[in-house]
Amino acid sequence: MALKPVTSPDVEAPAIELTIDGQPVQAKGGVSLYDVISQTGKIIPAMCYHYTFDPFGSCGMCLVMVEGKKAPVRSCTAKAEAGMVVRCEGDDLFAARKKAVEKHLTIHPLDCPVCDADGHCELQDTAFQHGVTNLVNAKPKGLPEDRRSLVLDFNMNRCILCGECINICKDVQMVDALQFFKKEGTTHVVAKGDKGLTCEFCGDCLAVCPVGAITNKYSKYVYKPWQLKKTTSTCAYCADGCQMHIETSGKGVQRVTSPLSWKNKWGDRAETAKGHGGLCVRGRFGFQYIDSAERLGGPLVRTDEGLVSKSWFEAMDVVAGRLKAIKARYGPDAIAGLITARCTNEELYLFQKLMRAAIGTAHVDSSARYGHLNFTRALQQAAGIGRMMNGYEQITKANVLLLIGTDITETNPIAGLRVKEALRVYGAQVLVAASRMTNIAKLATHPLPIAAGSEGWVIKALVKAVVEEDLVEEAAVAAAPEAFAALKQAVAGLSWELLAARTGLSREAAVEAARLYAEAPRAVILCAEGVTRQADGYANVLNLVDLAWVTGKLAKPGCGVNALPEEANEQGAVDMGVAPELLPGQAPYADEAARARFASAWNVTLPAGPGASLMEMLERCRRGEIKALYLVGENPLATLPESTGVREALEKVELLISQDPFLTETGRLAHVVLPACTFAEKDGTFTNLEGKVNRVRPALDSYAEAHPDWEIFAALGTTLGYPMEYDGPQAVQREIMKLLPGYYNLGEAKPLTANPDAYLRNGYVREVAARYAAGAAIAKADRPFALTVGQVLYHSGKLSTRASGLVQLAPSKGRLQMNAADLARLQVGANDAVRVTSAKATVELRTEPNPDLAPGTCFFPEHYNEPPVKDLAECVTDPTTGVPTFKFVRVAIEKI
Amino acid sequence: MSARSQEKSLLREVWDALSFSEIRTAMRVVLKHMFVKPVTFQYPREKRTIPDAHRGALGLLRYDDGAERCVGCDLCEAACPSRCIKVVSAENPDRPLSRVATEFYIDITKCVFCGYCVEACPVNALAMTKMYEYSTADKRELIFDKKKLYEVGEQHIEDAKRYLYAHNQEKNDADSRDYRYKFPHQVAALTPPHDS
Amino acid sequence: MTHPFEDQRTTVYKVDPEHPETLALPTLRTEEMMLNMGPQHPSTHGVLKVVLALEGERIVKAIPVMGFLHRGVEKLAEDGTYHQFIPHTDRLDYICAMYNNFAYCRAVEKLLDMKIPPRAEYLRTIVAEVQRIIGHLFWLGTQALDIGAMTVFFYTFRDREILLDFFDELCGARLTTSWYRIGGVERDFTPDLVEKLRRFADYFPPKIDEYVTFLETNRIWLSRTKGVAVISAEDAINFGLSGPTLRGSGVDYDLRKFEPYAAYGECEWSVPVGKNGDTYDRYWVRIEEMRESLKMVKQLLEKIPEGPVMAYVPSVTLPPKDKVFNDLASMIQQFKLFSQGFQAPKGEIYCGTEAAKGELGFYIVSNGEGKPYRLKIRAPSFIHMGAFDYMARGYMIADIVTIFGTYDIVMGECDR
Repeated sequence: MALKPVTSPDVEAPAIELTIDGQPVQAKGGVSLYDVISQTGKIIPAMCYHYTFDPFGSCGMCLVMVEGKKAPVRSCTAKAEAGMVVRCEGDDLFAARKKAVEKHLTIHPLDCPVCDADGHCELQDTAFQHGVTNLVNAKPKGLPEDRRSLVLDFNMNRCILCGECINICKDVQMVDALQFFKKEGTTHVVAKGDKGLTCEFCGDCLAVCPVGAITNKYSKYVYKPWQLKKTTSTCAYCADGCQMHIETSGKGVQRVTSPLSWKNKWGDRAETAKGHGGLCVRGRFGFQYIDSAERLGGPLVRTDEGLVSKSWFEAMDVVAGRLKAIKARYGPDAIAGLITARCTNEELYLFQKLMRAAIGTAHVDSSARYGHLNFTRALQQAAGIGRMMNGYEQITKANVLLLIGTDITETNPIAGLRVKEALRVYGAQVLVAASRMTNIAKLATHPLPIAAGSEGWVIKALVKAVVEEDLVEEAAVAAAPEAFAALKQAVAGLSWELLAARTGLSREAAVEAARLYAEAPRAVILCAEGVTRQADGYANVLNLVDLAWVTGKLAKPGCGVNALPEEANEQGAVDMGVAPELLPGQAPYADEAARARFASAWNVTLPAGPGASLMEMLERCRRGEIKALYLVGENPLATLPESTGVREALEKVELLISQDPFLTETGRLAHVVLPACTFAEKDGTFTNLEGKVNRVRPALDSYAEAHPDWEIFAALGTTLGYPMEYDGPQAVQREIMKLLPGYYNLGEAKPLTANPDAYLRNGYVREVAARYAAGAAIAKADRPFALTVGQVLYHSGKLSTRASGLVQLAPSKGRLQMNAADLARLQVGANDAVRVTSAKATVELRTEPNPDLAPGTCFFPEHYNEPPVKDLAECVTDPTTGVPTFKFVRVAIEKI
Repeated sequence: MSARSQEKSLLREVWDALSFSEIRTAMRVVLKHMFVKPVTFQYPREKRTIPDAHRGALGLLRYDDGAERCVGCDLCEAACPSRCIKVVSAENPDRPLSRVATEFYIDITKCVFCGYCVEACPVNALAMTKMYEYSTADKRELIFDKKKLYEVGEQHIEDAKRYLYAHNQEKNDADSRDYRYKFPHQVAALTPPHDS
Repeated sequence: MTHPFEDQRTTVYKVDPEHPETLALPTLRTEEMMLNMGPQHPSTHGVLKVVLALEGERIVKAIPVMGFLHRGVEKLAEDGTYHQFIPHTDRLDYICAMYNNFAYCRAVEKLLDMKIPPRAEYLRTIVAEVQRIIGHLFWLGTQALDIGAMTVFFYTFRDREILLDFFDELCGARLTTSWYRIGGVERDFTPDLVEKLRRFADYFPPKIDEYVTFLETNRIWLSRTKGVAVISAEDAINFGLSGPTLRGSGVDYDLRKFEPYAAYGECEWSVPVGKNGDTYDRYWVRIEEMRESLKMVKQLLEKIPEGPVMAYVPSVTLPPKDKVFNDLASMIQQFKLFSQGFQAPKGEIYCGTEAAKGELGFYIVSNGEGKPYRLKIRAPSFIHMGAFDYMARGYMIADIVTIFGTYDIVMGECDR
């Protein structure tokens, strides 16, 4: 930390002045001299330096002459001091640097022709720039290549021991999976303990490796940089909105690279507060699904022989013809649509327009219904904000971060890095309330182990602690005294014994956490599926808002309540109004004036509503009220538990359309299957969790006969008699811009200010008591285990299971992860068969010990349905938002 | 300035005209050539001697032990001014950790025969030959694939070697018999993938 | 944009209402006639089209229409490294590929401020002059052929063949040579090649006399060249003409003499200059230039210094191949130069070279990257076409072939 002070709002480094090549230069005290020089625009070669971590000083290239010193000094490890006189050019320095490169080259193998880094190699560049021509006594190391790890190969012959991989792993990722290791007289970079890598496989080490010492197994030897076309796009896995370079050749996607690379090594450490430009394992290594052979090549239509390949013309004829017939016979309300939040904003907008304007139904929903709507609606209701309140920079610069019910490093790894940076660089206090010892809990300053599924109760405990320990901010509560009084009364009804029993958190621990949170000038709450995808998710978010409100952290800059969405464009789906209760721009659908505005813009009369949301839709399908269901990228059969009757619903409809890049389980039931494009073939935008609109660019031509979703929507709308003719996604964008001015503002998302006044004055008093009601105790006796079905780092939904690279990292093992103590108690070993029984179903599984799980809990990854663990769950639908929750269930486990 | 400034007298001009002197002068030269060996030759039956440096069709070469020289480094593709080369490389399935060109195409219809690819090749896997008769009725045959290129290389191995010597790409002496480019193969102790 | 002859194409013959009988009368039509010549005319040497406005047999106006052979060479230059553009220059004036290479390499070397080893300079000069002889031989043969004197064509092509074979042996190609390199030449002369050139130098002078005999005793050829396509020295300068076309008008201007580059300063030679500025004088200049070139080749062959044929600038020139196999530094150089090219300093440069047809100039704008930001070619053939209309006016239509030929135009260079 010594050489890289960062500018936080609390500490400002002193200004100093020094002379560089005769020019006076202003700088901040305590900074590395190299940084100061690079800020003046002078580039000194340095192979071990990267602005995201502390200078290491191993390559010996960044030599400068400092007045008063006889020999050149390494500028990266030297501290800039006031009054320094520095010379960074000159023949002597050039010669000294040349000597340093030569030293690296003499032990480097003649690998350029076969090396993957050739053409993108700092050693090559530096050697060439310094005109190295002749090497005497070249002596390559001749070491075997280390292929023990998954994904990455380590070739220590090419390594220049710059340590960038080790540093980025330690400093930025805080994974610390790599180390220098001396064996047989040479220093190697190996995974900790000289074994295969067991890390998060983010690949940042690969990105910063200035030579070809670390190579990617998935694209090894298949490309040279000049063969590849580089397209900058936005990752489609999670909602972090990472920018990535998709590099394609004629054969398809060859590799994915990140903006983080040794090539852009100059920068200000303070810039990383917004992101360091890296990718996670999914983004970097999960690209294989894009040109996978499993992709749907053309439309399929169900005939007597099953699903038969048809031309687009015939398939669209069937779709349009039957939709028209159903509409004519049963009315537009017999048609419903469901779209995935992995589509672009333009497609989401067009889809709801197609359903509402062209077909005239109010039944339209998206996969944001699975959880994110709980958050946006609660926050919209309470504070008038429909997205996360804090961006990356505010998360990084918070003093206290409260993480509840989120395994952030697994679900949103890059957002997780912001928490890590807050921890390490800015010294934030991080409180992690989780039932599992998650990676972030291990790093946290204050891990709060809680009982599985008790996130809602933890929030209540925190609110109670704040209210009772008088940690409230007077100014905030004074604005709404009745509301505060009601809240005080409501929390008084909860006893600490009850809370401690349900959460496993003692009163002292809760008070300590609440105190930390309440007293911090900038405190940010991050939650995720543990809060929003639980029963009472909506109420939980409102309780979090209570916590922020009473501590005065709701409207204060740098503070806020946030929930991390899961899929790439969930925020966009909400913003584009792909929900029965919302119009584009999150205007309420029930609002006559708003509806009239869109109706006149679209030149139709909009259906009165209210439309059915996801679960209601399926219910109506079962009841035979909905006759046609249009599924875009959604696969409810593989997502929802069997007990919801989803199969029955899908089998009952007269027309089931599945539009997807792949033939899914639901697609096999469908009457028409339309092949869609993946994000790598589309133009458009994604809205990330910060509310930032990121561009998605097509890197490849459409696969076989697949078409981008927006084209299909536009064609279908036009065929149905409602003109939806667009030249391209830009035309759709222009229409959205007209209707939602400022949505596509470039750069950062607009800062938001919470305004809870209306919420606190109207109705708060009435409903607060219900939210803090004690409720019935959960019977634990017959089903002692808490099973969580959740996301793992290597996957995102079902999509990633088509990416062979990720499947290789995390294959479908069908194993239930359990604590070793529980296994011992049940007298089962690892990989033994057990029977898992819930109220709804019984599944036979094999076991796997996982030390991170607390006793009495077990975990199963949600991405694979083999065996169908999801069916164990009981689906509870939130009464307010209609969000189905099925991620948590109590089970009994017995040995077979 | 001799021929140019001559001004002929009228008498001279009349005499020239009457004696057909122009035709006489010209015919003298022409008749002289009747006794000179013709410089033309009957092409398909007789052929030019092609110099060693001649830049003809490209071929891929093997080492003397039959191993493919090409490692699929793709520098020829980068060097090609007419972008007629396409190399697809991969890890050699037979020899792990070595790179090999699985596909190699030269669109000979686009090739400008500049020889840059040969100059670029770091293993001298490519060479130009004296082959110039490959006209065909089917244009597709003119996209030389890896097989065809190795065939050309084998048929014209002597020409190819002479080409490399002529253009200073390789030396024709005992020292450089050992030209085989040895990559430091790291296959010595291949460790099995880590089981996780 | 309207066509220059739009008004004539749409001429409407109006009947005078006062005298309707005029239509019935057989009249001699005296309006200008428009004639499209080319692009498929054998005498246009490629694909030049000329729109002629004729009054009877007299040329009133002659507008060259160019671009049929446009290949976007200047744009192509922006796409590749500096090195990769050399084969493209072969295809400018494809008769004299060597000289295009030379002119381009000189321009890049000027941009890089490079010094070329003396041996390379000598070889470059010798080959350039051989190329000039080839260019003039080609011109001589085809020009005579166009006018109807067929025999010379065979003799010039016979002798050109000898030199093309020499090129084949030197660099491996007869026309698209790509022998020059930035910093020197690709391959040294072998003793055999030197011997061949010496033999040619002895063989060739009588042959020049032979061509002269053929043409200068040919009364028709003389009357079709003397006094045709005359341009005064002043006009020639104003039109930017260069090379033999300019010197035929009596302007003593030759870049080789006035800015002696390469080894032109190292030998004795003179610049032949015409007087009348007609086709015959240009012919004479070219014949004399062949003799001078031969003189230069002879002298230079005797004095070729020993030494390398490529400059040694590690950041620009390729390493020797045998070092690439064994030395990492050389291999890196090889890979960087071929995959990314060398980085020329920022700036712009113009460098003119006296090619067979006139001043061939390359204007390069570099923004410090591995590729030229912009490359403009000053092609003499193109500039000469600017004077075409001026020089053709007033001559008979039969003379148009002579006027084409007088410039030694090559469309590859003209259209680029």
